[in-house]
Amino acid sequence: MKPTKVLALTAAFMLTVACLPVSGCAQDGGSEGETGTGGEGEPYRIGAVLSLTGTYAGLGIPEQRAIDLEVERINADGGINGRELVVIYEDDATDAAKSQAAAVRLIDEEGVLAIIGASGTGQTMAMRSDAERAGVPIVSMAGGSVITADFSEWVFQTPWPNRIVIPFVLEEMAAAGHTTVGLISDTGGYGVDGRDIVLATAADAGVTIVADETFNAGDTDMTSQLTKIRAAEPDAVLIWAAGKEAAIIARNARQLNMEQPLYGGSGIARQEFIDGAGEAAEGVRLGTGKILVPEAFGEGTEAYAVATDFIERYEAAYGTPPDIFAGHAYDAIGLIADALERLGSGDVTSEQVRDALEQTSGWVGIDGTFTYSATDHNGLTRDEMVMYVIEDGTWRLDR
Amino acid sequence: MEAAEFFQYVIAGLKSGSIYALVALGFTVVYGSTGIINFAQGEFFMLGGVLAVFFAGLGLPLPLAGIAAVIMTAAIGIAFERVALRPQRSASPIVLIIITIGGSMVFKSLARHLFGPDELTLAEFTPGPSIDVAGVAIERQALWVWGLTVIAVVVLAVLYRKTKLGRAMRASSISHDAARLMGIDTARVVMVSFGIAAALGALAGVAVTPLTQTAWDAGATIGVKGFAAAILGGLGNPVASVIGGLVLGLLESLSVAFVSSTYKDAISLVVLLVVLFVRPQGLFGRARREKV
Repeated sequence: MKPTKVLALTAAFMLTVACLPVSGCAQDGGSEGETGTGGEGEPYRIGAVLSLTGTYAGLGIPEQRAIDLEVERINADGGINGRELVVIYEDDATDAAKSQAAAVRLIDEEGVLAIIGASGTGQTMAMRSDAERAGVPIVSMAGGSVITADFSEWVFQTPWPNRIVIPFVLEEMAAAGHTTVGLISDTGGYGVDGRDIVLATAADAGVTIVADETFNAGDTDMTSQLTKIRAAEPDAVLIWAAGKEAAIIARNARQLNMEQPLYGGSGIARQEFIDGAGEAAEGVRLGTGKILVPEAFGEGTEAYAVATDFIERYEAAYGTPPDIFAGHAYDAIGLIADALERLGSGDVTSEQVRDALEQTSGWVGIDGTFTYSATDHNGLTRDEMVMYVIEDGTWRLDR
Repeated sequence: MEAAEFFQYVIAGLKSGSIYALVALGFTVVYGSTGIINFAQGEFFMLGGVLAVFFAGLGLPLPLAGIAAVIMTAAIGIAFERVALRPQRSASPIVLIIITIGGSMVFKSLARHLFGPDELTLAEFTPGPSIDVAGVAIERQALWVWGLTVIAVVVLAVLYRKTKLGRAMRASSISHDAARLMGIDTARVVMVSFGIAAALGALAGVAVTPLTQTAWDAGATIGVKGFAAAILGGLGNPVASVIGGLVLGLLESLSVAFVSSTYKDAISLVVLLVVLFVRPQGLFGRARREKV
């Protein structure tokens, strides 16, 4: 075969493969947008950028369900200040370039007052500059610390960020006697953010990281990385990943006959992890919020009442209990609805929505009780964390 | 490094390598008979996996579900050639290549709508703990992957060397026009080669889904890896494609051991570039001078 021909074919192949996933990014977002100032009586328009497909589809789908459920309930009760709430969805396909394009479209073409999203950390960060440019607040449902640690006055966050979850999990590991830990994390936003925090806080928590391996989204076999971790002989393995690959890691670990217990965080608190890992999920421990077993909130508390009401309605509508991602979305739409309600029925600008969000105080949601301030756009503490162990294909409180 | 640890990397490499080999074979078979790169090859891999999950979900026993998925994908490959490519057979190769790109998008979108956006799981063929050989853990499913790869390669070799159809395919790959002048039905050869390529891709998808799960978008990555393997071996040479796949799998796995897991996925692209610049005819290809 002619070398030039092979070169040409290869170039064509590579170009296509490289361009396909980002075809959405061609959308141009040049013009300065009208940010929605919907007049009295008109519906409130809110955008939502979710990962409905791609490796985070398991996050985006329950998020959309929770938002649908809440919007329906709010509108059935007469809306907010007598005005209807409308949510316009965009799918970012777990692609940062597409989430940015989606944010531009929502801001410039739909004129939304606020954006819920994205599902992922990298996707959220990609939307930031456009939100800042147009002055539209974002309420993210992703758990990367960077979202609120790298502070932007326009970006809020509903889940417990890695900087809260990771020290909690590491201390739990140390308390269980696992002082040497092998880490495996993904190279996406959530994994990179998590890896940095693990390495920075391990010593304080009393554990030593003896192996530090990574993998890419879409990888289908992590046996090699686990072989390397196994050779370092850690007491336990910590998986910090939010995608579907975590299930493969658990299976690979079992196939390698590894005896070390597996730990993880919010990223693996999803039914797909249990379904995908099957037998290998048994005994995996993870630290995250309390929604999975609402008794953790403490019966009789307001948080317990909010959670059980949501779980009941979600289960009635979809036939499956909500996971933590549904909870993040419940909080995101709930916080925005609460802010809009406080603004009253007159004309509203996206700047006013941002200010009202920042004044959120003591709002009880699923991920915890939120109090935002001019310096804290997450508003949660470690008190919202609890440790689970997977047994018989479901989550149980650990200890 | 202990020997057991080293061989664990080798096992992991040969496991992914076999899958790359099957996909690379698909590229090679189509390239041999048509001279084009079939961009939908990764999608055949995806279809094999999702269809096996679908058939198993209908209640078919696992072996039947796997076979049905391979046959169905082969039929899809043949239909794709008949419906989309044959009407344009006199067009230039670039047109045909673009048609295969379109086909890959159609397959992907259809799979997403028919089977949903979530990852799908398939039971292992023979469930059970890994087999321990002197400290090296070998998954049962990996044995299936290797076994099926060997069977596919042997069947393909017999087909190529011993049958009339195989001779026709080889003749077509040497010179399409000369083969046609000799009375070979080259249109049929092209159609059959798409069927074989689709079946090979689907077989890889069925064999590996119990280990990795699958989804509508599983084809893209494996398409790149399989293509890199085919180029590494030398496009158009079946045996070389298989070796290319195994070598690529080993390189990836050993790169985790000796370099860093961060670069594992870059290996296939680096290999691709190095081969193209240093030895464009592939490891086993014979350099051919263009006569003017």
